[in-house]
Amino acid sequence: MSRFSLKGWNGKLLRVDLTAGTCTDEVLNEQWAKEYLGGRGLGTKYFTEEVAADVDPFSADNKLILAAGPLTGTYGAANGRYMVITKSPLTGTIASSNSGGYFPCELRYAGYDMIIFEGKAEHPSYLQIHDDKVQLVGAVHLWGKSTKETEDAILAEFHGDAKVACIGPAGENLVSFAAIINDKHRAAGRTGIGAVMGSKNLKAIAVRGTGGVKIADPAAYREAALDSYGLLKENPVSGQGLPALGTPVLVNVINQLGALPTRNFQKDTFDEAEAISGETLASTYLKRNKGCMGCIIGCGRVTGLAGARFSGDGEGPEYETLFALGSACGVGDLAAITKANYICNEYGMDTITVGATIACAMELAEKGLISEKEIGMPLSFGDADAMVKLVEMAGKREGFGEKLAMGSYRLAENYGVPELSMSVKKLEFPAYDGRGIQGIGLNYATSNRGACHVRGYMISPEVLGLPEKLDPQATEDKAVWTKIFQDFTATVDSSGVCLFTTFAIGAPQFANFLTAATGTEFTEATIMEIGERIYNMERVFNLKAGVEASQDTLPKRLLEEPISDGPLKGEVAKLGEMLPEYYQERGWSAEGIPTNERLQTLGLA
Amino acid sequence: MVKIQFYSLLRMLLKQEKLELPPCENENIERLLQRLQQQITIPFIHKLLNEKGEMFPGTIIMINRRNIHHLEKLETRVHDGDVIALFPPGAGG
Repeated sequence: MSRFSLKGWNGKLLRVDLTAGTCTDEVLNEQWAKEYLGGRGLGTKYFTEEVAADVDPFSADNKLILAAGPLTGTYGAANGRYMVITKSPLTGTIASSNSGGYFPCELRYAGYDMIIFEGKAEHPSYLQIHDDKVQLVGAVHLWGKSTKETEDAILAEFHGDAKVACIGPAGENLVSFAAIINDKHRAAGRTGIGAVMGSKNLKAIAVRGTGGVKIADPAAYREAALDSYGLLKENPVSGQGLPALGTPVLVNVINQLGALPTRNFQKDTFDEAEAISGETLASTYLKRNKGCMGCIIGCGRVTGLAGARFSGDGEGPEYETLFALGSACGVGDLAAITKANYICNEYGMDTITVGATIACAMELAEKGLISEKEIGMPLSFGDADAMVKLVEMAGKREGFGEKLAMGSYRLAENYGVPELSMSVKKLEFPAYDGRGIQGIGLNYATSNRGACHVRGYMISPEVLGLPEKLDPQATEDKAVWTKIFQDFTATVDSSGVCLFTTFAIGAPQFANFLTAATGTEFTEATIMEIGERIYNMERVFNLKAGVEASQDTLPKRLLEEPISDGPLKGEVAKLGEMLPEYYQERGWSAEGIPTNERLQTLGLA
Repeated sequence: MVKIQFYSLLRMLLKQEKLELPPCENENIERLLQRLQQQITIPFIHKLLNEKGEMFPGTIIMINRRNIHHLEKLETRVHDGDVIALFPPGAGG
């Protein structure tokens, strides 16, 4: 084994061959660590080096990588994040899904930066890690259990202080948008990574770690941390808005703007927005806010329901969930949305895709393309009880849930109308209409995992005015802004730090953190170059996987059907005005293919 | 009347969702906020503006659902019947 000389990283990964039942330590590739950091970047580097792009996502040849970053588990900002990388069964693209909590930090305290799962276990299994003692154990007794039940059982039988990431019944049932849930309520939610885990007969990963993270220059790190703490506390978004209202504060903001997708994007203002808003949540079901490990923001929502119709405890709903299970379905019943959110967490499902898929089904029913008999119940926009029922049926793949489990694109395609799926590259849109906010539309079209807002959160400049206010309806300069946001986000996702810190801190602070932690010098320029390298690496994988540049587009509804109501009535997505400039900014050909010259500059060719 | 809607931290602070004021000749958003502060005993402007009287990054003020950033900012004129929405900085994802 070669040595790993840098601090920050543990310098060690765990390779688990599920077919053979073996667990092996490996030294992390130091050169790759410098070039791709960790998390999304380093995980994708290992993945693309080891897995053929045309791999069937559910075959034993696909791999599943859980990757923390060099800052995960350190104090300083909000450093409790990790990423899951694999090939997505939903989109056929690279899948990388982010989550925070305590599990990612515990993995680092056990001495690992990354776990690579390969092959397929013969029987349901789960992985136990207690520092350097690692073993695969049977999980037949856990199969079929919810994520909550699974975690409780593992804590009882393995170690009471362990942290757990697991799948629920949705992952076992290969629901194409199944999530991996850690710490009971936190989801690596999008692109169906939980289904890949289920396909490998892997139920959970339980970690107990008692070590720490070695920092190269503790004094400089402390200074960087204090600087960031100050900025995060002083910033009104991270210091006040997010702790008090969480992400749901955006329901009223985006609805007022006229870009809150409603009834499967047939409208953009929701008459019942106030009923499902962050303000209403705060005055009804919210018990307290909660942060991931070491986080001083605390955007999480701990909630409880004690009504006659719906009861339970959990976390959420977030803004995206309030859209997907709320306005997208025309549902203004906050208790029903919260209950459906709990079901998603317990079954292990992405709230965005399941909600958007039900919204799509509602439109199919509204247009008479699908019968009540086939669904098994009457279905129309606004039917809260049906929405909750269908969420559960999707997780179980029961009845009509079998079709919902495919996601909205395949559902709509099944009825001959794929254009009614509000998605890009088969991943459903989040809660901002690209017709009213042009830059986010460009980001959706060019995101490497389909319609994802957190690949390049253009809402920040276009709506919130951070770091400066751009006109959401304008197309000028959106290409360059989108590229910057996408590249910087790729670096943040690879560091182990929460993206929400970037409302207050930027590339200079990240450079300081990484330099102090690792002992290798990072600058603002290298921070941005690393992000660009990661973005291009993902793009090259997608092209090899057959996801062509022609898919850098938006549904016909966004490109041709003007917004029908509200202050942005008449707007369409002007993608054609931005996409050529975006390709140019990226140094890609006019056809959207990264040039050899660009790839060489980035060290990718 | 001019309708003023409070959101987010402002609603929690003021414990009210909205308020109406009679229109005032040649009034802009800045002066409307000052007049509003005289009506409400609880200090609230510091949630929207810094000590120099500038909007915080992230503060959103809409007039008839249009962001004043893209109008005349705090100088934007207010007329009878206008609806003003006040959002202190917040964010989501």
